[in-house]
Amino acid sequence: MKRDPVASGTAVRSGTGVASGAPAVSGGVTAALGALGVVVGLRAVFGAPLHASIGWLVPFAGLRIDLDPLGGAFMALTGAVAAAVGVYAIGYARREHWARFPLVMLPVFVLTLLVVPAAGSVTTFLFGWEAMALTSLALVLTEHHRDEVRSAGLFYAVLTQIGFVAILVALVSLSSASGSGDFAGIRAAAGDLGPALRNGVFLLTVVGFGSKAGLLPLHAWLPRAHPEAPSPVSALMSAAMVNLGIYGIVRIDVQALGGGPRWWGTTLMVVGAASAVFGVLQASVSADLKRLLAYSTTENMGLIAMAIGASMLLGASGLASVAAIALTAALLHLVAHAAFKALGFLAAGSVLAGTGLRDLDRLGGLARRMPYTTVLFGIAALGATGLPLGAGFVGEWLLLQSLIHTPQGDNTLLSLVIPLSIGALALTTGLGIVAMVKAFGIGFLARPRSEGAEKAREASPTMLVGMALAALGCVVVAVAPAALGPALTRVASTLPSVGGDQGPKLGAILRLPGAAGSVSPAILAAAFAVAISLVLLLARWGVGARPAAVVRPLWAGGGPALTPRMQYTATSFAEPLQRVFDDVLRPDTDVAVTHVAESRYLIEKITFRTAQADAVEEHLYWPVVRAVAAVARGVRKAHTGSIHLYLLFGTIGLLVVIVVGR
Amino acid sequence: MSWATRILKVGRIVQASPAAPARTVPSPTGTRASLQIRHVDAGSCNGCELELSGAFSSVYDAEQFGARLVASPRHADALVVTGVVTHNMRGPLIDTLAATPEPKLVIAMGDCACDGGMFRNGYGVAGAVGDFVPVDVELRGCPPTPDQIVETLRKVTGR
Repeated sequence: MKRDPVASGTAVRSGTGVASGAPAVSGGVTAALGALGVVVGLRAVFGAPLHASIGWLVPFAGLRIDLDPLGGAFMALTGAVAAAVGVYAIGYARREHWARFPLVMLPVFVLTLLVVPAAGSVTTFLFGWEAMALTSLALVLTEHHRDEVRSAGLFYAVLTQIGFVAILVALVSLSSASGSGDFAGIRAAAGDLGPALRNGVFLLTVVGFGSKAGLLPLHAWLPRAHPEAPSPVSALMSAAMVNLGIYGIVRIDVQALGGGPRWWGTTLMVVGAASAVFGVLQASVSADLKRLLAYSTTENMGLIAMAIGASMLLGASGLASVAAIALTAALLHLVAHAAFKALGFLAAGSVLAGTGLRDLDRLGGLARRMPYTTVLFGIAALGATGLPLGAGFVGEWLLLQSLIHTPQGDNTLLSLVIPLSIGALALTTGLGIVAMVKAFGIGFLARPRSEGAEKAREASPTMLVGMALAALGCVVVAVAPAALGPALTRVASTLPSVGGDQGPKLGAILRLPGAAGSVSPAILAAAFAVAISLVLLLARWGVGARPAAVVRPLWAGGGPALTPRMQYTATSFAEPLQRVFDDVLRPDTDVAVTHVAESRYLIEKITFRTAQADAVEEHLYWPVVRAVAAVARGVRKAHTGSIHLYLLFGTIGLLVVIVVGR
Repeated sequence: MSWATRILKVGRIVQASPAAPARTVPSPTGTRASLQIRHVDAGSCNGCELELSGAFSSVYDAEQFGARLVASPRHADALVVTGVVTHNMRGPLIDTLAATPEPKLVIAMGDCACDGGMFRNGYGVAGAVGDFVPVDVELRGCPPTPDQIVETLRKVTGR
């Protein structure tokens, strides 16, 4: 890859020629667009569906907006993420000296994100989808003077285009077979379509939308693009864009096609479970904070895909009320994931801006230096663990309940798939705790492990406000999911094929219809608060009876003092896990021992090197890439530079065309 | 007859321990049959370590009298110091005692720890344990036998 002379070096970083108010304008417009998205989306969820048609705006069929509760909910969710990110981006862009290009692209990207769920016709959808892919690619390449960024951009571009081709083929064949260009027409004609077409469309949409949602095996762009993109962009991509992959699956397969045979749901569950387990395993051994969060996105999207697959499978098995619980779990977890992942990436961006680091092995000690960011990241990490009082708890609990309460009877498929899914969910949740404890404990607590971490600066006020907005979302989902209840009910009512009209009621206490299970996050939170204040009171009460505290130096094993090198690192924390899952993770470790020249018994130095590659990428992508490269080398042999030879090739080609097309 | 009933029938077989010695040293924590010990090797020839591990082995089983070895001075009520104090271990010994919470006890084990023993005027030797930290209990012997160690510990634990 050649280095672009204009783009290289300091010209990009210093952002020459950008007015000092530009970040405020860009972030402000982004936030305003987001707020507009929330308002319009919520109106569509609760009010009458919105229709709009602008004939000249998009080629072929014109722009067609058709906003129903499903699209409105995704629009509102995207808008909420964009509002938080927009406020954050004001401070972030100022501190990182963004150039003009990303400042302009950020609101454009948000606009395309809002268009996709609003699209009412296939052409508008595809147009918005591709515009979204291109603007996000441009934003990923913001720091394109670095090699890793360009490589990540290439990965993202290739995978997103593979996905786009799959979606294009699926939607075009669907619309030509049903004779209608808009989703409403497709839904009306879906019953008359042949099973071969329906199955083909299902598989293509799972591949295409799965690549955007970061599902296995087309997830490889996530852990590359998310760490290299600027953090507000990572947050938008991970909390808003990947959701649209799920949106596509729900819109086409669940709503337009109205569900399918049982293997559809089973396929989605298998893909989701594999993504969840693989993603969380990679997250728990990853030492790069943003890479960890990116893998966690794969994990959570996997869980959501699993929940949607479960609802499709149960809906097709005639268990509508349990299917509705799984659907609610998927939707709720989608909201929760958007909240905690946006917050996680924004906090990671604050760490990156404050220390210049995202390597957990070199971070640490941020709790003293960046107290607000630490608390906010803690809220995000708690949400990602799926523990009570965290945002991810309610969705995962509902998914587990729907799986546990599935009456299996003598149904072989159900009695095979459901217990395995419960196992995958349990493993994912457990490992998710390890990953997030590592990210928070190693990254933010203990002592700083490098000079960069020692000189950390707290994020600027606008960044903190942006993060606080996302944190508010986390807290609402965690403590009062009932606030989302009416919206979820409206969304689910548009999905009758998975029992959407008989979902669980999200009151102050979550009760499941037809199943013995209830939980109340609000009461849990209240009990937790009471317990903490009780302990504090008791501790204060006993303080008079104790002797005065004596201050002594920290115990350093008899050594002179503690050094940061004595601490756990992210790599050592994950080492036991890496050993247990050696076969799946296949880490690349290397220990080189150099002996002293005079004696084998004395060691001069030991070098330890470990790299955690993505096993799927290693064994699935690179063989293909190598094969393509080998073919290309073969083709190059024909390029001799002789014009006569080229004329001969052209003639042969023409003859073939004439003979074939006769 | 299953193994469970056989166990029940045979009951518990233990060798009777010798009668408890008089409690000459008050337990630092004021409790009976509980003494958490951190062992510090201040520069020993490892003879005392061998006997100490024997005392805590299944044969002599010092733990049945309430003495227990712990891994950090933070958890300890008492230090058992073996060996002469070498120049290199003088600082760590003092630090270890400082890191032990009050109230605490120092048991000097072996002739070297008590007065320097056979290494008294060695070139790397700083002195006996008593020269640097206050010693509460002295346990003579080169090395003391496990029986002697257990007996001394029982004087502290009172069991």
